[in-house]
Amino acid sequence: MAGVLLNHVTKTFETDTEPSGRKYVLKDLNLTIKDKEFICVLGKSGGGKSTLLNLVAGYLKPTSGEIIVNGKTVSGPSAERGVVFQEHALFPWYTVSQNIQFGLKIKKNKHAKEIADQYIHMIGLEGYENKYPASLSGGMAQRVGIARALANNPDLLLMDEPLGALDALTRENMRKELIRIWKQAGKTILFITHSVPEAVYLADRVILLKNGIIDMDLHIDLPRLRDPKSREFINYVTMLERGLAEKETDGILSE
Amino acid sequence: MTAQKISKERREAIRVQKMYDRIAANEKIMLQKKQRRENAKAARALGVKKNAKSEWHNKVARICSLIGFFLVWQGVCMLNSNGAFFNPTFLPSPADVVMTGYKYIQDGTLWVQIWSSMYRTLLGFALGVVVALILGILTTSFQTMDNIISPILNMIGPIPVFAFLPMFIIWFGIGEQSKIILIAYATFLPLMTYTVDGINNTSPVLIRSAKSLGANQFQIFTKVIMKSALPNVFVGMKVSLALTFSALVVAEMMGASRGLGFMITNARNWFKVGDMFLAAALIGLEYTVFFSILTALEKLLFKWKRSGLSNAVET
Repeated sequence: MAGVLLNHVTKTFETDTEPSGRKYVLKDLNLTIKDKEFICVLGKSGGGKSTLLNLVAGYLKPTSGEIIVNGKTVSGPSAERGVVFQEHALFPWYTVSQNIQFGLKIKKNKHAKEIADQYIHMIGLEGYENKYPASLSGGMAQRVGIARALANNPDLLLMDEPLGALDALTRENMRKELIRIWKQAGKTILFITHSVPEAVYLADRVILLKNGIIDMDLHIDLPRLRDPKSREFINYVTMLERGLAEKETDGILSE
Repeated sequence: MTAQKISKERREAIRVQKMYDRIAANEKIMLQKKQRRENAKAARALGVKKNAKSEWHNKVARICSLIGFFLVWQGVCMLNSNGAFFNPTFLPSPADVVMTGYKYIQDGTLWVQIWSSMYRTLLGFALGVVVALILGILTTSFQTMDNIISPILNMIGPIPVFAFLPMFIIWFGIGEQSKIILIAYATFLPLMTYTVDGINNTSPVLIRSAKSLGANQFQIFTKVIMKSALPNVFVGMKVSLALTFSALVVAEMMGASRGLGFMITNARNWFKVGDMFLAAALIGLEYTVFFSILTALEKLLFKWKRSGLSNAVET
C-alpha cells in the first residue's frame, strides 16, 4: 500500500522580486494518488513540479498543509520513498554494483549482492558490475540510478525528469522499460516531466501544474503499450498542450 | 478479442525487448571501442605505438638536461680547481658531494641525520593531518564549533608559522616536542582549509540520494561526505608537505643536535660546504619520496576519478 495524500499543501519561498516578499510555488494543493497508480506531473520550468517532488521526498517542508504517504505524515527523506534524479546522482566512488547495493547494505540485507546482480541483469549491464559511474554513458548511468532506487524496494518511486538527459532512442526505450518495471513490481510512481507525449505515454493520470495550482487532472484511458501515432494519443497530447499554452496566457492576463 | 489483445501486447513486449537488447548491445560496442582507444593510449604511453617516438624524445631530452646540469657544474669546478675564478671551497663539485656522502655512510653518521629528520617529519605531518581532519570535521558539522574555532584560526593564521618557534621552544623545550609541534602546526593550517572546502563541496544531490536510500547522519558522513572530501584532503596534504619540510629545516636549524637542517648549520660553523650541499640534496630527496608516496596513495584510492585534463581532448 502506498497511497499519497496531499492536504492543502502550500510552499512559499522568500524573494525580493515580489512586493509581498514571498513567492508561492505551490498554492493550497490537494491531490490523492492511489496505490500502484502511475502519475505524471506536467508543467513548465519553474511551475513547481520539482518542488512538489522534493516535498513528497521529504527534502523540503511544506509552508502549510501536510503530505501523507502510506498513512504516515512525511517528516523527512526515507527509504520508503525512492528517488530517481534528473542527473543520475550515482556515488562516483562506488562501482555499479556497490551503488545498487548501497541501500541494501544500510538495511544489512544479507542478499545484497544477489539482488544487485538481479537488477544489473534487468537493466542489461552485465559485465559492468565493477565499473565506476565515470566510465558509463548517460543512458547506462541513468539505468543504474533507476535500478538503485528499485533495489531498495520502496513503496513509492519519485522520478524527477529521469529521462530528460537521454538521447531520443534511449529515452523511448527507457519509457517502455519503465512501464514493464512498473507493471511487474507494482509500485506507485510519481513522475515529473516537461514532455507532454512522455506524460501521455506513461501515466494513468496526468496532473498539469501551472503557477502552483493543478490546472488539469486528466485520466489517460488508453491500453498499454500506447501508440504515440494513434488518434486518441494525439488527442490527449493536443488537449494537454493547449492546456499548457492557454492557461499560460490566462495567467499572465490575470496577474 | 481479449486473447488477441494479449498476444498483441506480448508481441509488442517482445519487440520492445529486442529493440532494447539491440541498444544495449550498441552501447556495449561503443564502450568497447572507447576501451580500445584507451588501451591504445596506454600503449602509446609505454612507447609502443607511433606517438612513442616523440614521447621517448621528450624523456631523453629531460634526462639529458639533468645530466648536462651536473656536467656543467662538474666542469666549472674542474676549471676552477686552481682557484682561477673564485675560491674553490665555496662550490664543491658534484663528485665531491657524492664522496662526502659516501664518507658519512661509511662512518655511519649519515643515517642518524636522515632518520631523525624522517622521524620528525612523519610524526609532525601525521599529527598535523589528524588535527586538521578533526577540526575540519568539527567546524563543518557543528555551527557552534565553527563559531568558536574559526575566529581564532583567522586571527593566528596570518602569522608566519616560524614566528612561533621561539615560543614553542620555551613552552615545549628544546627537544623533539617543540620541533614536532612546529611541523604539525605548519602542516595543519593549509590542510584544514582544504578539508573544510572538500566537506562543504559535497554535492547536495548525493546527500539527498543517500538519505532516500535510508542512510542515517553517520552513514552519510562516512559513505558520502568523507568519500567526496578525501581527494581534496589529499591535495591539501600535498600542498602542506612543502610547508612541513620548511618547518622541519627551520626547526632543525634552531637548537637541534641531529637532523639534516642541523647538518647545514653545523657545516656552516665548520665551513664544510660539501656537507651543506649533501644535506640540502637529501632534504630534497626526502621530500620527493614523501610526495611520491602521497601520489601513489592517491592513484590507489581514487581509481574512480578521471582526470579532466588528460581525458578532455585526446591528443
